[in-house]
Formats: sequence, structure tokens, C-alpha cells
Amino acid sequence: MFRVEAIRVPWLRAMDINPWPYLVLGLVSFLVLAPLSLLVLGSFSTARLPTDFSLAQTGLQNYLKVYLDPLTYELMGNTVIYVSGSVALGISLALTLAWLVERTDMPAKILIYAGVPMTLAVPGMLQAMAWVLLLSPRIGMINRGLMESLGLAEAPINIYSLGGMIFVEGLRLVPTAFLMLIPLLRSMDPALEEAAATSGINPSATIRKVTLRLLAPGLFAVMVYQAMTALEIFEVPGILGLPSRIFVFSTKIYAIIHSATLMPVYGQANALAMIYLLIAVVTTYFYSRMIGRAERFAIITGKGYRPRPQELGAWKIPALAVASLYLLLAVVLPFLVFLYASFLPYLQIPSAAALKSFTLKNYRLLATYGEVGSALKNTAIMVVVTATATTLLSFFISLVIVRSRFWGRKLLDQLAFAPHAIPGIVMGLAFVWVFLRLDFLPIYGTIWAMVIGFTTNFISYGTRAMNASLLQIHKELEEAAYVSGLPPWRTMRRIFLPLMMPTFAGVWIWVVLHAVRIAGMPLMLYEGSQNQVLAILIWNMWDEGYIPAAAAIGTLLMLSLLLLTLLVRSVGFRTQRADVGGR
Amino acid sequence: MIRIENLHMRYRSAQGEVDAVRGVSLQVAEGQFYTLLGPSGCGKTTTLRCVAGLEKPTSGEIGIGDHIVFSSRQAIHVPAHRRDVGMVFQSYAIWPHLNVFDNVALPLREGKKSYSGKEIEEKVRGALHLVKLGDLEKRPAPFLSGGQQQRLALARALAREPHVLLLDEPLSNLDAKLREETRLEICDLVKQLGITTLYVTHDQIEALVMSDVVAVMSMGVIVQEGPPKEIYQSPRERFVADFIGMANFIEGSVESPGEENGATGQVKTASGRLRCLLPSGSACGDSVLILVRPEDITLCHDRSTTQENVLPGRVEIVAFMGDSLDCQVMVDSQIVRMKLHPDVDLSRGQKVWLYLPPQRCRAIRR
Repeated sequence: MFRVEAIRVPWLRAMDINPWPYLVLGLVSFLVLAPLSLLVLGSFSTARLPTDFSLAQTGLQNYLKVYLDPLTYELMGNTVIYVSGSVALGISLALTLAWLVERTDMPAKILIYAGVPMTLAVPGMLQAMAWVLLLSPRIGMINRGLMESLGLAEAPINIYSLGGMIFVEGLRLVPTAFLMLIPLLRSMDPALEEAAATSGINPSATIRKVTLRLLAPGLFAVMVYQAMTALEIFEVPGILGLPSRIFVFSTKIYAIIHSATLMPVYGQANALAMIYLLIAVVTTYFYSRMIGRAERFAIITGKGYRPRPQELGAWKIPALAVASLYLLLAVVLPFLVFLYASFLPYLQIPSAAALKSFTLKNYRLLATYGEVGSALKNTAIMVVVTATATTLLSFFISLVIVRSRFWGRKLLDQLAFAPHAIPGIVMGLAFVWVFLRLDFLPIYGTIWAMVIGFTTNFISYGTRAMNASLLQIHKELEEAAYVSGLPPWRTMRRIFLPLMMPTFAGVWIWVVLHAVRIAGMPLMLYEGSQNQVLAILIWNMWDEGYIPAAAAIGTLLMLSLLLLTLLVRSVGFRTQRADVGGR
Repeated sequence: MIRIENLHMRYRSAQGEVDAVRGVSLQVAEGQFYTLLGPSGCGKTTTLRCVAGLEKPTSGEIGIGDHIVFSSRQAIHVPAHRRDVGMVFQSYAIWPHLNVFDNVALPLREGKKSYSGKEIEEKVRGALHLVKLGDLEKRPAPFLSGGQQQRLALARALAREPHVLLLDEPLSNLDAKLREETRLEICDLVKQLGITTLYVTHDQIEALVMSDVVAVMSMGVIVQEGPPKEIYQSPRERFVADFIGMANFIEGSVESPGEENGATGQVKTASGRLRCLLPSGSACGDSVLILVRPEDITLCHDRSTTQENVLPGRVEIVAFMGDSLDCQVMVDSQIVRMKLHPDVDLSRGQKVWLYLPPQRCRAIRR
């Protein structure tokens, strides 16, 4: 006769209404929706400060003030020029580099493969500062050099301009776009191109009619993604635009709150943030749609055959030169400039005299200057906690999204991705409202405020990485463990953890790399030395004119970020092993 | 043994509710090789996954050996890891972070029953020897060929000496030649171990060659179940005949039903009367479909003897296949396909007479 074994009704019922997905959904909803709703509410506030906000004092004043101001439309124009310019520059550079290393016989490819991702190690803030040191009309070394050698009366190049912002941001967009384009080029089945060749289509027509058409959805998705990044970034337009009062959205919102002459009007910042947010959200929506399309295209790709590389012939050396020039501009030159400036007692253009005056005083200053120590400690705690929280939260979110049949998993996916559309400055502004208005979170002005803000911001990246990784771990690998008699927790430990480890490490280090360098959101939540972090310290030093000291910290920061990036790379290489399992 | 009773499986998908399995009942006897055969989407894999415990059925009952592992009535659902099964997946699901030895050892190390290190080593060696992977113990899993991965998956499934073996299209990722070899190897191995096996495939040849019993599935139900020979020779439905092998169908209506016990009767068709095996309980005037396999039809060059079941036709297409001659003959307005010995001399347009042996003509109800 049949014997009854195990698991009776209550268990079964409990399985059906698993509380975990609800818990995750609740937490993510709070993190994302609380700041957003306060942001919206606050935009109607007629009180100047969030603490004075009450429902009685609401009205449309902020909107009228902001949207009847012609400067707002100038600001939008600036933003459009800046975003489209930097995306055009960034993508064309990245596509050229990716094509050179993937599809041609250019020599020394490893230099590009290894070097381009390294440029991620240079924070946007430092990148912009370095280019100020090189191209500022007053102190820029290149400008001064050109003026002296050509006998010019005025500096030929002004980095404090839209062009300057486009140039620096364009360079900064390259590594991410490059890393997104490589797999795109690589996954394209060369048979599709070979089929064109055997049908008598010439190579240039093949590139236009087949290669680019196949790449189009993916390429467009990368462009939209990069536009979002450029729109969001605060540091580059902040360093290059604020001094000359050329505003884009992110810097304008900052300027409203941190105006030196006027009392801040939070409600106006919120009202301006609304349109900014709207643009970002619409872009994100289209981005998600594009991604869906791109994946549909990906189905026709596959096989790991490498196509025959395009022979460059005489163009080999020029191609390599262009590729190396990028590395020079994006990482070598900024680093050298910082290194040089960090040894100077005061800023001067390179000369024998300047070399003679080299000193270690800036580095000694760092060791003795009290604020540096507390900022380092704050940064370390903030970064480690943020990275750990983001990694764990993202993993649980993705587990629900990818592996459960929870009804709300699509919603959860969208909620977790939503912060990607929210610019850091807006997120910072929104969290100012949260921490000032919601009394049960008395953490305004502490590093925990930044931890929560950053974690919310980074789960959008974290869940993308975890989703992709979980999807790659073929469901059958896990099922094979169950049918082999492994209980769920052991399956977690013996199958999931080892396979997910590279992703965990990757996400963790990625968050560290970003949390340590981003100045935008921390600047909004900054309340003095008790929550001053490294990025703010550098920003303040630069603002107050302690340029050699800022260069010293910047040099050290760049060095440690370079080491961390190297670590990510080596982890990244190990990840590839996990791809082999399920097909 | 495996026992499934009135299994239903409904799930929600992007396209709405899907009834993947709609009332499947079957019984696999101890040591039997039982195959679920059907086109993709017929519910065969879902049924298998329900047995494994990877899906939770909507209703029904499943028993493995002496245990009920699922019963909607008694609210029993034993999770996959507590079921006494071994399973080979379509993708093989070889754990990529482990080497060959550890892939087989992990279920023994981490499962419910605990083994000593020595026992584990013995069992793993035994299983690997069984599938001829003994000399690849230390190789990392991603460095195995498709065929090796397939055998490793089999070794992993067998190492625990499970009560039943579940195979989900294990050969579909192999190339044709390897598939043929592996088919026989698996067959041998399973028979040698005497393990009860539930096998899922969409490949009719696999099903016919390997199984003791084949169940043909369509749209979530078992259409017909029986030994391979019976399934092939006497399909009870057009779907089965169509899905397995090639078949000619001739429409007709019963003119005189035969006596009981499988005797032949007369059926009137557009091309004349045909004597054939009728389904029991046929009555005059029933419309039926006569099924004839191409290899059962023979040629007669003249019509000297007034035989029954001879139809005139004209040769339309002759295709030399190496081991046979495939021809299509126009009989009235219908193409009849036949498979002849390659030496037969036929040419296009030639007039021929086809003989359809009454014992090979099987009528099914329409």
C-alpha cells in the first residue's frame, strides 16, 4: 500500500503564500516611492524649507515661478546640446574602439581591451578637474603653453563651456559604451554576414545592410542608456559649468539649494526636478522597450565562431594611434596632471623651476589635517555598508523576479529599476525631504542617510546584474540538485553561491567604485564634518582653491580606484566560466 | 514503479491560463522502460517534471514505489529533493563549477542519506565506470564534449541508486550518429540495472527502439498506450498514425461489418471496395478512415487474378532512397505513398496496380 510521506496541509498552504516576496516588495516600494511622493508633494509647498511643509501651505507658485522663467528654457536647451553632444562623441569613439578590437587585425589589441575599462577608475569629478588644470583659460597648462608658443593674447580654448562639458563627458561615456558594445559585436553570428558575402553583397554594403541593421536595436539601446547617464551626471557640468554659470538640469537644482546669495527654496527645486524626472522616466521607459527588442534580435545570434578579422593594411598604425590617443586623453593625461599638481607648493605650468619646487607637503598635510581622517572613516563605513546592503538586497529582489511565480514580480522589477531613471541630484533632494519629514528615520545629516540614498540608487544596477546572472544559471542546474536529493538550503550553498560568487563580488566592488566617487547625492545630503565623505572633501577643497591638496587626495583616490578596477576585471574573467554550464 | 492518477496541471503564462496536462493516468511497472512520446507542447515534459517534484500539479495523485509523493486530495506534496528519483535533463545541467567526480559526488555528499568518504568514492567510481567516464574524473565539467556531458548526467542520476530514473529528452542535443549509439547504450544500461524508467521524447524512433511501453500524448492527454509494435501497427487514432511513421489514409464507409474478434469487413471507398480490419462494434454506414503503411503495399503488374483490395493507379514520383524506393501513386484523385525494394523497376507515368493486404488495412473511426 501507499504510505504517506511528509509535508502536510499547513506547509503546503504556507508555500502558497510565501511572505518573503511581500517583504521584499514592501521594502523596495518604501525606498523608491517614499522619496518620490515627498518630492511630488514638496513641489507644491509654499514654505521655503521641508521642515516647514504642511498641507495647508500648498499651491502652484513653484511651478509658475520655474516654468515662466525664460532661463528655464535656456537650461533645457543647454541640457539637450550637452546630452546629445556627449552621447554622439562617446558612442562614436566607443564603437570605433570596439570595432577595431573585435573585427580588425589592429595590433596590440590587449592594450585597448585592458586599458579602456581602466578609464572607469577616473571619477568624473577628477576627470573634469584635470581638464580644468589643462584647459582653463586662466590656469590651463595647454592654454598657457599655446599662448606662449604662438604668441596669443587670449587663451584659445575655454573648458568652462558647453563644448568643454561635451568633451569631458563624451570621454567619460566611452568605457561603459565599449563594454556594452563588445558583447553585441561578439554575439553576432558571423554566418549572417557570410551569408551576405556568398550572396554577392560587397563588404561595405554588408556592413550597412546587414551588420549595422543587426546592431541597430542594440546600438540604439546603448545610446539611450548613455543619454540617461549624461543627463544624470552632476560632477562634470558641476565643475565645468557652475563657474561660468552654464546650467544643465542637475547643476541648476543643486544651485537652487546651494545658492550663496539667496535663501534656498526647496519647493522650486522640486518643481524643476519634476520635468527633469519626467524626461528621465520617459527615456527609461523607451530604454526598457528597446532592451526587449534587442533581446528578441539576440535570439538569432549564437554560435561562438569568430569571424575573419578585417585587414587594416596600411591603416594598422593610424588605427592604433587613435585608440591610444583615447587612452591618453581619458586616463593617462588626467592622472599625470594630478600627480604633477599634487607635488607643487602652488599651481604653476610645467617648467624646470616648477620641477625644482616639487614638495611632499601636500601629502604631509593630508596626514595631519583632521578632516581627512574623519572623511576617510566616514567614506569607508558608508561604502562598505552600501555595497553589502546593495548586493544582498539586489540578490533577494532578483531571486523573486527571476525564480518565483510571485504575481508582483514584474512590478518589483520595474520598481527596482526605477531609481536608474532618477538622477542622483533629484534622489538626493527627495531623500532630504524623507529624512527631514519622516520622524521615524532620525538620520538626517549622518552617513546612514547617504547609505540609504545610495543603496536605493544602486539596486537598479545590482538587480540588472543579478537578473542576468541568475538567468544564466540554467534553472535545470538547480533542479538537478533537487532531484539529486539536495535540500533547498544546501542547493543554495553548493550550487547557487559558488556560481553567483563572481556576480556578488562584481556588484559589491562596482558599488564601492561608484559610491566612493559620486559627489552629487552626498552633496545634497551633506551637513558638515560628521557626514563628510571623500568626494565632498575633494569638492570643497577644490571650491576653496586648495588645488594642490585636492590633487594629492585625487591622486591617491585614482590609484586606489585603479587597483579596485583591476580586481573587478580579474573577477570578471572568472565570471565567464559560469557561462558554460547550461545551454 | 510509478503510478500517476488523473493528473492535471494548469499554470499561468504570459498568454493566460494553460492546461498543460489534462487528466493523465499511467502506471510504469517495476523495471519497465516507459516512454512519453509527443510533439512539443503536448504535456509530456510537464508530466515528467511533476513526477520529479519540480512542478506542483493542480490535481491528481502520483506514487513512486510504495510512497505517495503527490496527492491533491490528501494535500501531500513531497519536494523534489525528498523523492527517490534520478533525473537527466535535456541540457544535462552539469554543474559548471565542479569537476566530473564532484558532479557525481555532490548528491551523495549533500543528500538525505549520509555516506562515508570511502563509500562515496566507490559509488562515484562505479557510476563513472558504468558510463565509461572513469578516466576523466578530474576534468572540469565545462571541458566535456556534449556526449560526455550527457553520460556524466546519467552517472550523476544513477549514483544514488534511485528507485526510478527520469529522462527528459536526453538525446536531443547530440548529433545523429552519437544519438544512435547512445540510444542503445542507455537501453543496455537501464536493462542491466533493471531500473524503472520514465522517458520523454519527441523522436518516434527513440520511442520505438528503446521502450517497453510507449504512450503517445497530445494536448495534455495520453492518446494511446501500448508496446511499440502495437502503437505502430494498430494506431487507434489518426494522430497516432500520423505522428509515428508514415501512413496513407483512405476515407470510406462501412458496407458490411465483419464478425466479432478482429475479423475483416467491407468498406466502400471512392476507389472501390476494400476489405480491412474494422474497429469492434462497427455498424453499417459508419464512416471510417482506412490506414495503410507505405511498406505494406505491394505492386502487381497485371490483374490476371481477380484479387480483392487491388487498386489501379499511375506512378507520379519515384525517389531512390538507397535502401528503398519511395513512390507516390495517383489513385483516383488521391496520392498513395509506398515503399518498395530498391530493385523494382518503375518509371513516371507508368500504370500500376496496388495490392493492399486486408490484414494490413486498419480502419479507424472518423
